[in-house]
Amino acid sequence: MDLMTKLKILSNGAKYDAACTSSGADRPGNRGLGSALAAGCCHAFSADGRCISLLKVLMTNQCIYDCKYCINRSSNDIQRAAFTPEELAELTIQFYRRNYIEGLFLSSGIIKNPDYTMEKMIAILEILRRKYDFYGYVHAKTIPGASPELIYKLGLLADRLSVNIELPSERSLNQLAPHKTKQAILTPMRQIADGLCSSKEERFLYKHAPRFAGAGQATQMIIGATPENDFSILRLASFLYEKYQLRRVFYSAYIPAVEDSLLPALNTKPPLLREHRLYQADWLIRQYDFSADEILSEETPNFNPYLDPKCNWAINNMGRFPIDVNKASREDLLRIPGIGPISAKRIIIARKAGKLGIAELKRIGVVLKRAQYFIITRDNPSGPHLNNETVLRALIDPKVYRTDMEQLSLFPEETDPRLPSPQDFTSVTQAAEEVVLSLSRSL
Amino acid sequence: MYDGSIAGFYCCVFESVYSRQIPCDIFVSHQAPYTLLPQKLITTDSQKAARVYRSIPLKISQQALRLVEVVFLSCMKQKELALLRFLLLAYRCNAKIMQMLAHPLVAPLLAAERHIRNESHLLRGFIRFADYDGILAASITPKNFVLPLIANHFITRFSDEDFLIFDKTHHAALTYQNRKKNFISVKEIEFSPASENENYYQALWKQFYNTVAIEARDNPKCRMTQVPKRYWENMTEMKDLL
Ligand code: SF4
Repeated sequence: MDLMTKLKILSNGAKYDAACTSSGADRPGNRGLGSALAAGCCHAFSADGRCISLLKVLMTNQCIYDCKYCINRSSNDIQRAAFTPEELAELTIQFYRRNYIEGLFLSSGIIKNPDYTMEKMIAILEILRRKYDFYGYVHAKTIPGASPELIYKLGLLADRLSVNIELPSERSLNQLAPHKTKQAILTPMRQIADGLCSSKEERFLYKHAPRFAGAGQATQMIIGATPENDFSILRLASFLYEKYQLRRVFYSAYIPAVEDSLLPALNTKPPLLREHRLYQADWLIRQYDFSADEILSEETPNFNPYLDPKCNWAINNMGRFPIDVNKASREDLLRIPGIGPISAKRIIIARKAGKLGIAELKRIGVVLKRAQYFIITRDNPSGPHLNNETVLRALIDPKVYRTDMEQLSLFPEETDPRLPSPQDFTSVTQAAEEVVLSLSRSL
Repeated sequence: MYDGSIAGFYCCVFESVYSRQIPCDIFVSHQAPYTLLPQKLITTDSQKAARVYRSIPLKISQQALRLVEVVFLSCMKQKELALLRFLLLAYRCNAKIMQMLAHPLVAPLLAAERHIRNESHLLRGFIRFADYDGILAASITPKNFVLPLIANHFITRFSDEDFLIFDKTHHAALTYQNRKKNFISVKEIEFSPASENENYYQALWKQFYNTVAIEARDNPKCRMTQVPKRYWENMTEMKDLL
C-alpha cells in the first residue's frame, strides 16, 4: 500500500480525537530540528474550523477491541493499514520542516496486546527523537491496559500523554467499551500524575534529570453518545483537574459511527452547541476561578442553550452586580460578562493612571456590548438602571442562531424548567424572545 | 523627511526636542508628497540616534523602548508622528506613561502593537516552506513588517537548516545560512519550479488536510475567521480553494 493511501486511512481513523493543541511545553531548540513553545501554535484550520497543530494519525487502525462508538472497532468492515516506524518518522520530519505542523499526535488501535502496541509506538518516537534529533512537540495516547514501565518510557519521549476516558461514566463504559474498565483508565492516569510530580521534583534538584511528559497529561470524553448530563460531566472534569493534575480535558461531540440500539441513531446531529458550552464552562473553571457547582447544579444539571455559562451565572446572581471597574479585584472583574483575563489586566493597569469611564474602557479595547449592564464607571457612578429583559436580550448568545432548532431539542428533558421547550417554536428568534420573557419573570 | 530607518527616526525625535518644534507629519524621503508646506530633511546621524535610543529606557522605561521599536515596524498610518508625540509626552510623564493605556496618544500605539504581534503570531503557524535542494524557502505578504519579530522563532526551530523568508509586501527577506541571519532588501525572488519530491510532500499534506476535516461539523465560516483570506495565497493547502 502506498504512503498516500495509508495517510488517508490513518488520519481518518484519528480525526475524531479532539485534542490538537501543542501548548504547555517550553523547550527552546538550539540544535537538531525543532522547538516547542509554551503558547502552542495553530498551523492550519480544517474546513470544520478546527485548529490543526499536529500530524494526528494512528500508528495502525487494526484493533482487537470492539468499542461500539469507534470506527476502528474490530467488527467494523473497513480497510486496515499501518505505518512503518521509519515511514511515519520521515513524514513527521518532512511536514515539520515545511512548517505544516508543530509535531506529532500519535495514537493507535491495539494490535496483539496493549504492551506490544506500546512498544511499537515507543519505537517510532525513539527514531524521531534519537535518529532525527527531533525536538518538536509529541503528544502520545497511551494504550489502555499497558504496563507501567512502558507508560514511563513513552512519557520520557513525549511532551504530553493522554489516557482517554471516552465515556463519562462507568456504566456507559461497561455497556459500550466492554474491554475497558474504569480502573484501566484511572490507574495509568494516577501513574502519569505521580510521574509528573516526581519528575518536577527531580528536575528541581538535578537539572539533567529526565523530563517526563513536560506538557502534562490530557484526556477526552465523548459527549452525547450516552445519557450523562452536563453537570456530571463538568464535575468529573473538575475532579480530574484537581485530583489528577490534568492540563486539559477535551470534549468531543459524538458523531454516529454505527447503528446500535445502545447508541444514538445514525442520523443524529452531533451536539456541537453542547460541546461548545462544555468548553466554555471548562474555561471558566481553569481560567476564571469558577467551580462546577457555580455553573450548574442538581436542579439545573444542563446548560442553558441560549446563554453562555458566564452570562447564565451573571443573570442568576444579579445581586453581585454592578461591579465598580475602578475598585474591583481581579477575581471580581473576571465575573463581569464580556471581561476576560486580558481586559481585566488592562483595567487594573490603566486605572492606576486615572479613573476609568466608558470612553477610556473603549480605548483600551474592552468590549462593552455585554459588560455595560454590569459595571460602575467614573461617568456612571450609580451603575446602569435597566430591566432584566433588556439585559437578557443583550446576553443571548448569537451562536444559538447559527445552529438549527434540532440542536436545541437535543438537550435532554431535564433542561432548566424555566426555559420553554424548543419544540413549541417555529424559529430560534421566537424561541429566544420567549426565553427572555420567561427567564426575566423568574428572576 | 528622513531615510526610513529607525536611527533616522530617532534623529527626527532629536531634532524635534532640540528645536522645540513638532512637525505636522514625518515622511520617508522617497515617499514624501509634493506640498507647499515647508519641509525639512533630517539626515541620519548615528550619534544623535544613539543618544535618543539610550534616553528611552533611561528617562521612560525598557517597556516603552520595546513599544516604540515594535510599532515602528507596524503598518500604522503616520506611525512616525504618533511615535514622536508619544515620546514627547513620555519624556514628561516618565515610566508612568506605560500605565496610561487609555490616553489618546498611547492607546492607538498599543492597538498597532497588538495588530503586528497578532499578525506575527498567525504567521508563525501559517508560513509554508518548500524545499529547494535542501534550502527551505517561503513567501509571505503581511501588512506589517513582521520579519524581525518572527526571525528568532524560525531560527530556533530550524537551527541546523538553511532557510529564507521573502516578504513580498516590504521587498525584504530574512536569510539564515550556516547559522547566520541576515536581513536583505530585494525586489523580487524567482523560485525555481518545485522538485518531484517537494510536490509529493505537498500532495501528502493536502491529503492529510482534507481528510481530518469532519464533514458532520463542516463550518467554513469559522475557518474564515481563523484564517483570513489574505493569508490563503501563500498556504499550500488553501491556494487551490481561492
Ligand atoms: S481500543 Fe481504541 S481503537 Fe480500538 S476500538 Fe476501542 S476506541 Fe477504537
